[in-house]
Amino acid sequence: MDYIANLIVIALSAAIINNYVLHYFVGICPFIGVSRRVDMAFGMGCAVTFVITIASLLSWTLTYFVLRQGAPLTMWLTGGKPIDLSVLNYIVYIFVIASSVQFVEMYVRKFFPPLYKAFGVYLPLITTNCAILFACLKISSHVSGVENPAQMWGVGQALTLSFFAGLGFTLAIVIMAGIREELDHCDVPKSLRGAGITLIVAGIMALAFMGFTGVDRGLENVLKKQPVEDTADKQAATTAPAPQDGQSK
Amino acid sequence: MKNNYIGQAWLVLVLAIVFGSALAGVQTTLQGRINENKLKDTMTQIPNLVPDAETGVQDVIGGVTVFKAMDKGNQQVGWVIQASGQGFADVIELLVGMSLDGATITGLYVLDQKETPGLGNKIVDDDWRDQFNGQPAGAPLTVVKNKVTEKNDEIQAVTGATISSDSVVAIVNKAVGQFRAALNK
Amino acid sequence: MTNDGPTPLERFIRGILPENPVYRQLLGMCPTLAVTNSMRAAMTMAGAVAFVLICANIVTSLIRGLLKPHLRILVFTLTIATFVTIADRLIAAFMYDMSKQLGPYIPLIIVNCIIICRCEVCASKQSVFTATSDALGQALGNMLALASIATVREILGTGMWFGWRVLPAAWPDWVVMVLPPGAFLTLGLLLGCANWISVKWAQHGRKA
Repeated sequence: MDYIANLIVIALSAAIINNYVLHYFVGICPFIGVSRRVDMAFGMGCAVTFVITIASLLSWTLTYFVLRQGAPLTMWLTGGKPIDLSVLNYIVYIFVIASSVQFVEMYVRKFFPPLYKAFGVYLPLITTNCAILFACLKISSHVSGVENPAQMWGVGQALTLSFFAGLGFTLAIVIMAGIREELDHCDVPKSLRGAGITLIVAGIMALAFMGFTGVDRGLENVLKKQPVEDTADKQAATTAPAPQDGQSK
Repeated sequence: MKNNYIGQAWLVLVLAIVFGSALAGVQTTLQGRINENKLKDTMTQIPNLVPDAETGVQDVIGGVTVFKAMDKGNQQVGWVIQASGQGFADVIELLVGMSLDGATITGLYVLDQKETPGLGNKIVDDDWRDQFNGQPAGAPLTVVKNKVTEKNDEIQAVTGATISSDSVVAIVNKAVGQFRAALNK
Repeated sequence: MTNDGPTPLERFIRGILPENPVYRQLLGMCPTLAVTNSMRAAMTMAGAVAFVLICANIVTSLIRGLLKPHLRILVFTLTIATFVTIADRLIAAFMYDMSKQLGPYIPLIIVNCIIICRCEVCASKQSVFTATSDALGQALGNMLALASIATVREILGTGMWFGWRVLPAAWPDWVVMVLPPGAFLTLGLLLGCANWISVKWAQHGRKA
């Protein structure tokens, strides 16, 4: 139960509360460049979601089994001596991303031609999308940066984080494209046209998304049972929304 | 065919070896210093968290990583535990100082937080953190708003940042509970 | 690029204002927005970018005769990722508090388009001296851009600059400026100003 609650919190926080574009500022280049029309924006969003999930899966696997301190494969190779290879993290991740973009492009072109037509053109651009490297780094900080093995992220958390981060990116870029389509009919001052007004609109969107701050902590409290030694009035607060707790199973 | 591949890729291979050894050199030179930096934050705070303490020694009891706070004569005078949890905006990392028997909280320090500037980040202020000094650790602490703290185990919330204050107290309660359970084992 | 392209000095000057990487080319927006809530963070970031940009440009220029066309992006990425790791380790060892504050944005320099763009456009075709001056110019331009944004955000958001109080203590801190929305608004408005100024300059030039 705690595991599922954990996943829900990770998902919601990656997609909405700490939206990758509006809170962490990653993936700004496509956010400004490819947000002129809604269909293009949606295609880009899907492509990013696709690649981010695959790249995170691969980088989680490599981090968990090879790169982190005390990883099984390195232990086996060195005969039980734990070495920390995390200095190589960045190089490994960037190559994982570049090769998974290539791989996804080939696979999609061969097996899903219509899909390739829809978002194939955006795939090569994704290699330099910071959002994907950022997701890999986030996952690695929860795998190789953790001392307590019980708190280490498994593949479930890694996949949830990356998939919902991709969804959050799609959400932001599609909303942006919708606004920009309407903006075409507005009389924007000449020097602000293009990137300038886009950034200002993004600022207003970020302001709106700031309203979600703190939701993840509340949700965590609702979903997870409070430890026994907590006070009576706090338990009263957590038992009240208990029916919701049952539904979310 | 094979020669052809090597002929094309030799530059990449040579670069990989050169860069790899450069990284290995940087890593071996700096690793000690980086690890030291990570511990230094905690170590410099130990004298402020536990009265009479001078240095700290890392230790694991019952699966919880703690620091033994030592005085000048290398006698243990208390404990410092690291704790972290979800705050209002991001994860909050805390250090909690405890007396030797684990019965009293002797200090609180905020290692890392990203709470709202001007509101939630007042949890790092001395005035607010000092409320924790001398609190009994046996029963969980509670947060009160807009009234004078009457009982011993009450913490006055930061004005306009109830959730941040709540989070800190919840993290402290949880960590102290775990630590006391481990200590009694 | 032909032999009668711009001289090294011209390249250096170009990077600072006429082809400023942030305001004119819209490259490297992620760190520009993320680390400009304080002057110290922005300058550390600009320094790290400058280090990686200059080193990567020099290495690329040195090996430009050996590059195979289809492997060149691979070589660029390898070079950049190595220097970013070195920069990251150095910052973690000597400026630990900054390393904690900047966190994942230092490794994100790898995918900063400024660097790979300069490797591709300039360093892989020019001599070491030209490539270095080009990198210096772009790095300086990037630093100026980050400094301008960070100045606006830190002064309005906290009333301080580099941690020194510049506005009276009675100043009501515009907290939103150091939060994410402030970054977008500041950059958007500054971008508008930059465009407006360059249009004015162009008109002035035509009249004269």
